[in-house]
Formats: sequence, C-alpha cells, structure tokens
Amino acid sequence: MKKLKTEVIVIGGGATGTGTLRDLTLRGIKAVLIEKDDLASGTTGRNHGLLHSGARYAVKDLESARECISENKILKKIAHHTIEDTGGLFVTLPEDDPTYHNQLLEGCRFAGIKAKEISIKEALKLEPNLNSNILSAIKVPDGTIDPFRLSSANALDAKEKGAKIFTHTKVVKILKENSQITGVQCKNCNNEIFEIHSKLIINASGVWGQELLKTIDVDLKMFPSKGSMLIIDYRVNNVVVNRCRVPSDGDIIVPGDTVSLLGTTSRKIDYKDIEKLEVDPDEIDVLLADSEKLIPNVSKTRSLRAYCGVRPLVAISGETAGRDISRGIVLVDHEERDEVKGLITIAGGKLMTFRLMAEMTTDLACKKLNIKKKCKTHKIPLPGSQKKQKIRQTIKSFIGISSSVVTSTMHRHGERVYNILKKDKKNSRIICECEMVTEGEIEYAIKKLDVKNIVDLRRRTRIGMGPCQGELCAYRSAGLFREYSKKTSEESIILLENFLEERWKGIKPVLWGDGLRESEFTYWIYQGLFGLGDINQNNKKTKGGKK
Amino acid sequence: MNYDCLIVGGGLAGLTCGIKCASEGLRTAILTGGMSSLHYSSGSIDLFGFDTNKSIIDKPYDYIKEYIKTNKEHPYAKVGLKTIKEAMIFFQSELEKVNLPLYNIKDTNHYHFTGLGTTKTTYFSQESVFNDNFKKAFLEKRKIAVLNFEGYRDFHPELTVSQLKNNPEFQGIEVFTEDIDLSKFIKTPKNLHEFRSIDIARIFETEKYLPGIAELIKKAAGDAKIVSLPAFISINNYKEIHQKLEKMTGLLIYEIPTLPPSILGLRMDKALKTRFAALGGELSLGDKVDNGEIENNQINYINTLNNGDTKHKANFYVLASGSFFSGGLTSSYNCMKEPIFDLKIKNDSNRNKWFSKKFFEKKGHPFMKYGVETNKKLNPNNINNKSVKNLFCVGSILSDYDPIIEGSGGGVAIATGYQAALNIIKGIKNKK
Repeated sequence: MKKLKTEVIVIGGGATGTGTLRDLTLRGIKAVLIEKDDLASGTTGRNHGLLHSGARYAVKDLESARECISENKILKKIAHHTIEDTGGLFVTLPEDDPTYHNQLLEGCRFAGIKAKEISIKEALKLEPNLNSNILSAIKVPDGTIDPFRLSSANALDAKEKGAKIFTHTKVVKILKENSQITGVQCKNCNNEIFEIHSKLIINASGVWGQELLKTIDVDLKMFPSKGSMLIIDYRVNNVVVNRCRVPSDGDIIVPGDTVSLLGTTSRKIDYKDIEKLEVDPDEIDVLLADSEKLIPNVSKTRSLRAYCGVRPLVAISGETAGRDISRGIVLVDHEERDEVKGLITIAGGKLMTFRLMAEMTTDLACKKLNIKKKCKTHKIPLPGSQKKQKIRQTIKSFIGISSSVVTSTMHRHGERVYNILKKDKKNSRIICECEMVTEGEIEYAIKKLDVKNIVDLRRRTRIGMGPCQGELCAYRSAGLFREYSKKTSEESIILLENFLEERWKGIKPVLWGDGLRESEFTYWIYQGLFGLGDINQNNKKTKGGKK
Repeated sequence: MNYDCLIVGGGLAGLTCGIKCASEGLRTAILTGGMSSLHYSSGSIDLFGFDTNKSIIDKPYDYIKEYIKTNKEHPYAKVGLKTIKEAMIFFQSELEKVNLPLYNIKDTNHYHFTGLGTTKTTYFSQESVFNDNFKKAFLEKRKIAVLNFEGYRDFHPELTVSQLKNNPEFQGIEVFTEDIDLSKFIKTPKNLHEFRSIDIARIFETEKYLPGIAELIKKAAGDAKIVSLPAFISINNYKEIHQKLEKMTGLLIYEIPTLPPSILGLRMDKALKTRFAALGGELSLGDKVDNGEIENNQINYINTLNNGDTKHKANFYVLASGSFFSGGLTSSYNCMKEPIFDLKIKNDSNRNKWFSKKFFEKKGHPFMKYGVETNKKLNPNNINNKSVKNLFCVGSILSDYDPIIEGSGGGVAIATGYQAALNIIKGIKNKK
C-alpha cells in the first residue's frame, strides 16, 4: 500500500476545502486535499452563484450581512475573473409588504452595505425586462460569482505552491491512535487503497461530515435542507433581481455567463436522502410562477435544466432541533468537544464566506501546529485574477483566433488565457460551439485542473452548459479524453455515457418545448445513430463469450 | 392553386408518399422547410430491428406478421403486411432509378457499424455501408483499416475500434486506425480542424482530387483489404465516386455514419427529391404551413407562414410533419399539441410521465411513442373527436411506435407514406 506523509489533510473539495488548502499552503504548511467526487461538485457548485452584498441578510441577520459585504469587497479584488460586478436590485411587488423596503435600507446602513433607493424609472433603465408594476426599488452591490472557477483557482494556486489534491478519492477510514489522529486511509477511482499520514485533519466535507465523523464515533448532526434552481437558456437580466420581502421561495433571478438562474426553494430533507436529491415538479411550478412576477414572460423562455443542492445546518451540541442549530459559520475543535486530538471541523457558512472560514480554520490549525504565520489570502490574488486583462489587447495578441473564443477563454481563466490558447490550428479549434470552448482549453483543463471525466470538464470549461447541453461536444470531448488523459478508448466511451446521464438528471424536470425537441435530437444521435445505450450490453456479451 | 394531393413535410414519409402519388400521375406538391430528420439519420432504412426483449430480429416480415396481430394500434397494423412489403419494394426500385441502390439480402436484416463501434440492425443499407463483398471479406477475417481525416472533430476512430474489438464477431480480425492528411486539397482559409462532413464531401466530389485521395487511402491502409471512412463520399454522385475509389485503390471501401450533418442521409434526401421532381412533383422549400381550415370534418385549405393570404387547396392532404424535433408535435409546460390542425394526440397528460428516469433506459422514453392517433386509413381525429376524411397522417407524427427502440423508424415512414398514397390514388379515381 502506498503511503504519503503531510502536515495537514483537508477533507472536502468545495470552496471551503480548497480555500483552506490554499490558506495553509500560503502559510508554508504542507497539505493534501481529498475529495470524494470533483472539486465544487457538492453544495459549492449547487447554488445560484450570487455574490451577496449582504442585503439579503440585512434585516434578520446583521452578522451574516457584515461578513458578506466584507468578503464581497475582498473577492472583487482577489478573484475578479470569477466575478461579474453586475450590481443588484431589490424590488417590491404590489402584493408585497411595503414596509420591508425601509427595513432593508436600514439594515444595510447598519451593516455598512451601500444600498440606495432608486426611482422605478431608473430601475427599469438598469433592467428593462423587469416587471414595470413594481412599487419601489433598491440598488445594492450584488454580483455573480462562478463557484466552479473559484474553487478551481484556489486549488490551482495551492497546487502550484506545493499542495497535493486527490479528487474522486474517498476517505475509507480515519486513522487514530488512542485519542490522537494519525491520518486517513483512502480509495481512489481505480479502487487503489492508500494511506496519508498526518497529525491534523480538517474536515471541510460539509453535510457529508456527519457520516465521516461517525466512523470515529464523533457525533455531529447535520440538518440538510434542499434548495432547487432552474436555468433558462437566455440571459434575460444583467442585474441580479431580488424580491424585496422576507426571504422565501422563488425570490431571486441571477444572471450568469450566457444564462439566467431562477432561485430558489428551501425544503427540509432526511439526512439519508442527501445522495439522491431530485428536483420536485412542484418546485418547478413555484420557481416559474414566482420568477414570472419579477420578470414577465420568463416562464415562456426555454428552460435548460433544473438542479438542487443541499445546505447543511449544524447542531453543535448534539441537539436534534431548535435554537442550537446554527446558520452561521461553525468551527469545531474536536479536541475540546470530543477529546479527539488533531481534528477540526469547519461547516455552515456560505459560499460568500468561504475565505473567511478558511482563514478561521487555518488560524486554529496554526495554533495547534505552533506556527505563527498570518493569513494572506485576502491580499494575494488567485490565479486568473493576478492581472487585469484588457480585452482589446488580449484579442490583439491572438490574431488569427476568433475574438469570441479569446474573450470567452479570458472570461473563464483570466490571465491564464496565455497558458491555454495557442495559434496552432488544432489547439484553437472549437469543440463546444455554444460556449466557445477550444481543444486547447480542454487539454489545459485535463492536464492542469484535476479533471477526471467529462462532467468535471464541464465545471472547468462550461462545455455542454449551453443551449444544446452537449449535443456534439460530448462525443468530441470523449475523443479528446482519450488523446489527452490516461483514459483508454473504452473508458472514454463510458465517460460519454455517464456525462449524458448526468445531463439528463437536470434536463428531465424541465422537459417540454425546445428542451424536449433537443432531447429527442440527442436521443436520436446517441441511441439511434451511435447505439451508446447498447455498449454495456455489447461488453457483457463479450465477457460472457470469453467464459 | 388546386392539387390532387398536398403533402406537409418533406422527410422520408412525405417524399415516399409524394413519389408514389406523382408516379400515378396525380398533381402533387410537397411543402417543406427544406431539412428533415434524414439529415441526421444513418442513411440506412430500419424495418423492425429489435423485439420486445431487445433481441435482434433476423426476419422482420415474419416478426411483423405476428406482432401486428396483438399490437393493433401500431402503424404497421394499420398498413398490413402485404402493403408494407409492397412499399419497401417500391422504395428500393425508385431509389435505384436515381443511382442510389439499396442493399438487402432476401428480406432479412443485416447490420451496419456505428461511429462508436456498436452494431445496428437494419433492413436497407446504401451499398457503401453494407454489401456482399464486405460480408465475404469480413467472414474471411480480412484486416480492416478504420481511417479518419486529420483534424476532423466529429469522428474518433479509436473509440470505434475499441468497441469493435469487444464484438464477438470481430474476434480474430485485425483492426487498426490511421489518419489521412487532406490539407493539400483545401483551398479555403477556413480551419481544416473545424471542417464538417459536408466540407469534406465537397472535396470528394471534386473529380480531379480523386486520384490523390485514392493514393492517400492506399498508403494509410497498408496491407488491410477493407477500409472504412467516415461517411464522406459525396452527396450528389456517390455511386460513381465510390466505385472509382474502390477501383483506384483496389480496396473495399465502406462508410460509417457520423455526427450530423449526415452525408448518407443527405444523399438519400437528395435522391428522393430528384426522383419526386422527375415525376413532375412540385417541391416548395423554405416555407412552413402554419394553419388550415377544417369544415365539416374536411380540410378546405392550408396557409403558410410566408404566403399568408394564399389558400393552398387540394383534394387530399397528407401530414408528414414529423415528431417534436421537426415541429410536427409541440409541447409546453403542461400539454402537447399538433400545431397546424390541433389534431387529437395520444400522450400522458402528466408531464412527469413523458420521460424515463435514465436517458439510456432499455425501454426508451414514453414521449417517443406519443403522436397523432388515426383510424385504419390513417385519418386523424380533430379535437372534437371527429375523423378528418381528406387528411392522412404518416411517419413520425404517428403514435404507438418507438422508431429507435423497435428499430422501425424508416419502415414506418415508408409504409405509412405509401399507404396514404394508395388511399389518395383510390380516392381520386373514385371522384373521376
């Protein structure tokens, strides 16, 4: 069995895990990250990608609001390539309680959020698709943030500074001698078992932490709640549109790249159901009906897909319900709580506060390791945000490559566009025509960004995220996987099938109209023309034959 | 304008119906947007490929004969075995007349290879996709070279070969891949690596390039006797070019269907349209029929989007407008419709029953079987449940069959198109 040694093990590859890995690395601490699926594949990647200004929390939760606005300002500096500074609006509908408007303004003032009442005319000028019957509007510094790029940039920076990352690797066992943590035993996607030895583990596995900790008899209860969202095929708004009322279902529309997201619902679910989450039909009904009130006709726009994520709420002292369940950041030193030395859990919080959570966690880790180094993650920009790219200049330096390809690549990878695009004709050919993803970007992602399958590739590059949901690019990507990764042809075909199945999960809840047309087409190609669904049958036949 | 027969939709079903009507001297017109599902098809014609257990059917007519006894709603049951056979023979002979011979052996199914190296059971194939020479060479276990063109995005031969090697029938056959560099034949500044199948088909259609291409194929093939190419060999003049290439190289050259646009499908589309025109049929491209007037359960006329005021009139109408993808059926949030005449369709009303849980589920997807319900003569019902007597529905707009899971798409299109034509021919004769 292979054995590795490191100073700190981080479990969980979401924003918090990758952020913590980066913070540790920037403080000169050797660290290894283990993720059971892909980076940002859990809660991190399953939200609406809102760069909160904090205004949403300003009425009820001042602490969260303050955290949000402070991190909002930091992220705009260190992660600007993952952010669109769109601005946001809070609009009051005729049916809403008009007093909430003033409560929000006041809350924002307390929290230090620059919120400003604007006229309805101004609001409509900012966002022409907005319902013109609104009663009032407040402008706030909301924006959008891409959680995939954010996590990937944190991971990349840590890796370039010496950290190690194992994705698609499960922790089988937490190793412990008496009360001292000694490491973990893992299993990777090839079913190889190996051990990583370390005296300190940081559990950043979010809602999945409950089962992980249970293996060493540490009881930390999670209360999962499901949030569903719907993506429509067009970017119908340029500004984040929030409904000015007490937070509830279907009160936000967030623009993102080429699409808009309608969010969100909130439903309590059983812990045992966290692995088989599905969007319920009535959630779709709610999202469409409520979004329609913010932006008329939005429900007639083509729905691309629906997805859901799980927010974990933590019960620190073992309560099963009630006031001990925290909605804020939860940092647990298990030495104090459970007499297990060398184990820290970081949970709760929000995507917005991932960096702060990482800082708090790393501070505690440093204390335990007796290292006196200060956090630098709020000052040092992430890869991709290390230089402000000038669009015109960048296009000029890639003469011969279409400007939409250059700007899309730059938009996704910041200054790393220079590591990706080459003037070579094969490298610059377009593989995903909806999102302008080139072969070069795919090669870069496979080789540098911990991409193990086509689903991962989608998170790094937006391949298959456009209107066609991977019609042609899925097959092309399978071919490129064989070329640029260690996957065999047979494995690449399985990746193709898995990718289309994964896409289907999000498509089927919104299968009507053009989405149904597109799916019939996809089905004709991949089943009718390629017989992809028969592959397993084919292989089984052969295996049977060999016996 | 007054026609004997107006056909809405120019895919396989519409064209078959049109050719039969025109061949009987009827004044026939087809109104079509121009493209059809042929453009993304394999270019082979399936009749009935798989039984309900997904096992391969060898003798489709024998199977259909039994199948339609118990599946009375299936379009084949409405057409009947005798007419299905007649339709297939008619289709084959009509295409023969426009230089697109179709291979079939003694009414049995054969199979062709897909881009992913799986096999698909089918009834008719173009001769570059399957013929007796391949079959013989294949049984003799000759070496096969799977070739691609350098830079072509839409075919990855290594994937094909990996699956072929898993196929029991390929045990003992050596298969390898090789690339051909076509760049010297390309005279445009367009990125060769972004070429689509059509761009490459154009190179093959350029007569003076053929010897050069043949030379490259020969070199890449090495000592292999069979060579496969992604389906590129010309749209317009395929038979001659295929023969010439085989002669120049001394190799057996077969084609594998690729991602759309499908050259094999375009070839068939072109051949059918040519035949229809040669018989005096009128083809109106680039327009869309958007509504029609139904009075006393009869269609009076139809309108098109671009010529709103013109009333297109005929004694009989055929609706061959396809399934969801082609727009013959539409769906919204909570209902499904036939958009031109608002005909009655058969589907689950609950939208959560329209699909299967997994994309590649064995039983396929319920929406594939949804469509217009008809009587035995292929007359649909309007929304008031009254049968529309001068309208026939054909092809994938029909309900109660699954073209992919059954492997019956082509056969149903041809058989129902042909049946509708017979009904119309009879109807016109009676009127006279």
